[in-house]
Amino acid sequence: MILDQADSLAPVQRVATPEQPVVTPEQQVAGAMRGFSHEIGAMSAFRLESCIHCGMCAEACHYYIATEDPQYTPIWKVEPFKQAYKREAGAFAPLFRLFGWKRAVTADQLAKWQHLLFDSCNLCGRCSLICPMGIDVTELIEQARRAMFDAGLAPKELYRKAQHQLLTGQPEASDEPYREQLIGIGKRFEVEMPLDAVGVDVMLCVPRTDIEHYPEAVAALARVMSHLGVSFTFRSDGLVAENYGHYAGSQAWQRAISLRLIEQAIACNAKTLLVPECGHAYAVLRWEAADLYGKPLPFKVQAATEYLAAALQAGRLKLGAADVGTATFQDPCQLVRKGGVTEAPRQLMKAMGIEVHEMADNGMFSFCCGGGGGVVDIESAKPLRYRTMETKLREISATGAKTLMTSCSDCRHTFDDAERHFDSDRSASSLLEIVARNLVDEVSAP
Amino acid sequence: MTLDLLGFARGPALKAALAIFCAGVVWRIAAFALLRIRRDLNRPRTSMLKYMSMGVLAIGTRSWPHPQFVKRTGAGEALGYSYHLGLFAILLLFGPHIEFLGSLFGFTWPGLPSGVITGISAVTLTLFLGVLYRRVTSRVIRMLSNFDDYFSWFVTMLVMVTGMATTAHLGARYETLLALHILSVDLLLVWFPFGKLMHAFYIFPSRAINSAILARKGAPS
Amino acid sequence: MSASGPGLTVGEMLRKHGVSRRGFIKYCTATASALALPPWMGAAMAEQLRNAPRPSVVYLSFQECTGCFEAFTRSFSPTIEHLMFDIISLDYDDTLMAASGTAAESALASVMKEHFGRYVLIVDGSIPTGASGAYCTSGGRSAEVILREAAKGAAVILAVGTCSAFGGIPFADPNPTGAWPVSAIVGDRPIINVSGCPPIPEVITGTLLQYVTTGSLPDLDENRRPRAFYGNSIHDRCYRRPFYDEGKFAKTFDDEGARNGWCLYELGCKGPTTYNACATVKWNGGTSFPIESGHGCIGCSEPGFWDKGSFYTAQAAADFTKSGETRPLEVLEFAGATLTVGAVLGAGSAGVGRLRQHRSELDEVAQNDKGTP
Repeated sequence: MILDQADSLAPVQRVATPEQPVVTPEQQVAGAMRGFSHEIGAMSAFRLESCIHCGMCAEACHYYIATEDPQYTPIWKVEPFKQAYKREAGAFAPLFRLFGWKRAVTADQLAKWQHLLFDSCNLCGRCSLICPMGIDVTELIEQARRAMFDAGLAPKELYRKAQHQLLTGQPEASDEPYREQLIGIGKRFEVEMPLDAVGVDVMLCVPRTDIEHYPEAVAALARVMSHLGVSFTFRSDGLVAENYGHYAGSQAWQRAISLRLIEQAIACNAKTLLVPECGHAYAVLRWEAADLYGKPLPFKVQAATEYLAAALQAGRLKLGAADVGTATFQDPCQLVRKGGVTEAPRQLMKAMGIEVHEMADNGMFSFCCGGGGGVVDIESAKPLRYRTMETKLREISATGAKTLMTSCSDCRHTFDDAERHFDSDRSASSLLEIVARNLVDEVSAP
Repeated sequence: MTLDLLGFARGPALKAALAIFCAGVVWRIAAFALLRIRRDLNRPRTSMLKYMSMGVLAIGTRSWPHPQFVKRTGAGEALGYSYHLGLFAILLLFGPHIEFLGSLFGFTWPGLPSGVITGISAVTLTLFLGVLYRRVTSRVIRMLSNFDDYFSWFVTMLVMVTGMATTAHLGARYETLLALHILSVDLLLVWFPFGKLMHAFYIFPSRAINSAILARKGAPS
Repeated sequence: MSASGPGLTVGEMLRKHGVSRRGFIKYCTATASALALPPWMGAAMAEQLRNAPRPSVVYLSFQECTGCFEAFTRSFSPTIEHLMFDIISLDYDDTLMAASGTAAESALASVMKEHFGRYVLIVDGSIPTGASGAYCTSGGRSAEVILREAAKGAAVILAVGTCSAFGGIPFADPNPTGAWPVSAIVGDRPIINVSGCPPIPEVITGTLLQYVTTGSLPDLDENRRPRAFYGNSIHDRCYRRPFYDEGKFAKTFDDEGARNGWCLYELGCKGPTTYNACATVKWNGGTSFPIESGHGCIGCSEPGFWDKGSFYTAQAAADFTKSGETRPLEVLEFAGATLTVGAVLGAGSAGVGRLRQHRSELDEVAQNDKGTP
């Protein structure tokens, strides 16, 4: 469902979106079962079959670690999915149904599991690392969330944002459309913001969190690209990096939202679609978009840090010493555990002479900031999120580092929110912004 | 010829049990392996050779938790693996068992002295009881557990206990004990395709395939 | 053949043959200890025997090879065992007696009449019931008829040899003669099974001696065999057991293991499930027994031993077929068949799964087309 040019220029602030449909319990169960059925494939079935109830995944999940509450055991979060599979699709499913060995999923169950699947999971991927059977539990949780969407049980905050983004390109209405805000940022930070160019090397998208809360990061992105001398552009009809369809659990909406960016990248003949500081945006575009598109993407998808690190290694990017004191790095889950982008940020920090004090759980073992998977947007998830964040914040303090750095705007946003809640002074800095401040020209000194 | 209990246990009962075992295992696996496989159209980060070999490597590396997780999970893992090792030793390294398996597969191998096996059995039995204790006392594991978990434990335990009673001539005539032991094996074979014991067939491919999928993205596993 | 009935007591008989009282007590003590009876029983046995009238014994042979009788008469020590013939009064035996024809038959009839209710009936050979009993007849009467009649007046029946105890080799599949053991024909007399193919001579005489001296049945196992001789398996008394426990098995009859006297389990020894005195009492006056000679026990004292599996395949080997043996090709065929069945069922399940899934996907696509979220 692609908007044409005229619609995208229309003011977006007062679009009336339909309310999230109210569904009866029977419809919820029917929807969930439809969703589960759709998600069953050889791989998901194999994963559900392989679980031996060892409970190890709980020991990797920061929600369980913080609360010691067994219900947050990762594989338990997909229990209705497992139940439905065994009852409907496994080899002996008819026997399960005939003898009642597995009960049918109920609406009460779904209501309870809404909390488990959306409030208590950041899709961070740690559980997938610990399972002795090798099960990718995170994938199963993502699939279960999609079925919850079909049941009409996506959290209202995520549903609204997803629907809004589907219809207008923005997850939320803003006083000024993002396009205009982008132009404003360019003026304010004195950075060129090419818009709607064609025949470029790189197409950029922007985390809307950055547009709204961290405009300097947007400027930093453009500044670095200009410095590299690469031809790049923003596209009015494909600005927002995040995909709320993914958070809400609607594959159809995720597809439509991704298609917007894909078609814009094709329209401007970009060789690379560069995803700046946003973990989920990267994962969705790099590892899911082509499947939804139906064929391989005709361009590369890269995360900003990996793009810049590659430029660094190739000698095209030179960085000066950064004045941030000692730093610790928050690895965005979706970059490190979904995409293997672990070394890139460290290479950049090293090039800037930053002394990094790693957290006890760093790199591929890093704990999620607590905001991933859309959790930071869910009101009802707040108390649990703050409780869980304490683990992360303790680890950060323990490093004794002066600066907390990250390359994900949602992580930044989550830490800033925690700063207010915990009344601490722990906010996160953007690696991209620091890189942009320490660019070294070949010819002239900084 | 009329059959006594032992003749029944190791004749028709064993044959039927093996038939159900073979057919059931393949049935169960085929029923999901032949479901839809989603093609991954995203550009891989690593070559096919690389991610497939990473997958195969994971069969070994997933055998022990990453150092980061060992503090929280090491003890439980060790307990689980130890009794598995014990079970394999008893099953594969005891003379009469080697003869039985050899008659099915066509070749035999050297085993361990019976006394050593008895010692291993005693240790394994204790560990196996420990594992049940853990299952009922750990809040996480208890919540996850269902009939399958307990029955699979029971069926395996029965085989071990009857086996030990047979070698020790404990409780009844040798032939009766041996018949009970073989009948318990028959029960285990019949139950195998229906419960979590299938993890014996799943474990290596599951580790390999899931890790290969992650390695394709360049993600760690 | 001595005359039956009262006359010389056993003691008088022995005295006549030059057996000292001391020698006789020694024999009884040895027999008592072989029977696992307490020491004082030896003396009591001797006393009993000395004063006992020589009991009447009738020995009937049916569908047999005569091996059991040969064993009976070949009890090794000629001095003492030979005297057993004089301790008992063997009043009727097809093989040994001089009489034949109607004279023999009338001898049997008169013994049964005179000692009705008191004679020991020893039976060897199975009883064929097929073809109306024509497979084994004497004087126009079938074995079954003769047995039933003889059993009526027997104080006790000793079924000597696996054939009479359990049916033995004639009883094995397909049992063409309709052979049965004694216990299948006679239900109302005490029966002691002294099985073996043949039984150890000393086991036969020891069992007989115990009955004759005590007048009561010895302690019997589930198969009615005297526990004194059949209470332990060969495996539990075998001198090669340490090799079994160490996992040292001979793999062929002439390999290094065989030459070193290692366990014969892999070569088919049925010791673990065979109960007899071979490993302790042994054969030929304690000379040797099959395992000691290098051949595995074939389980000849057990019911159905012939059908229970190959003599040369390890007991723990899988037993798939009626004959109790499994060949590799059979296993492969079995595996192939069952795996194929499984694959077909699995493909069916997956097919059904996909169909149900496809239907629900179509629902969703239809919904999407309508444009509703």
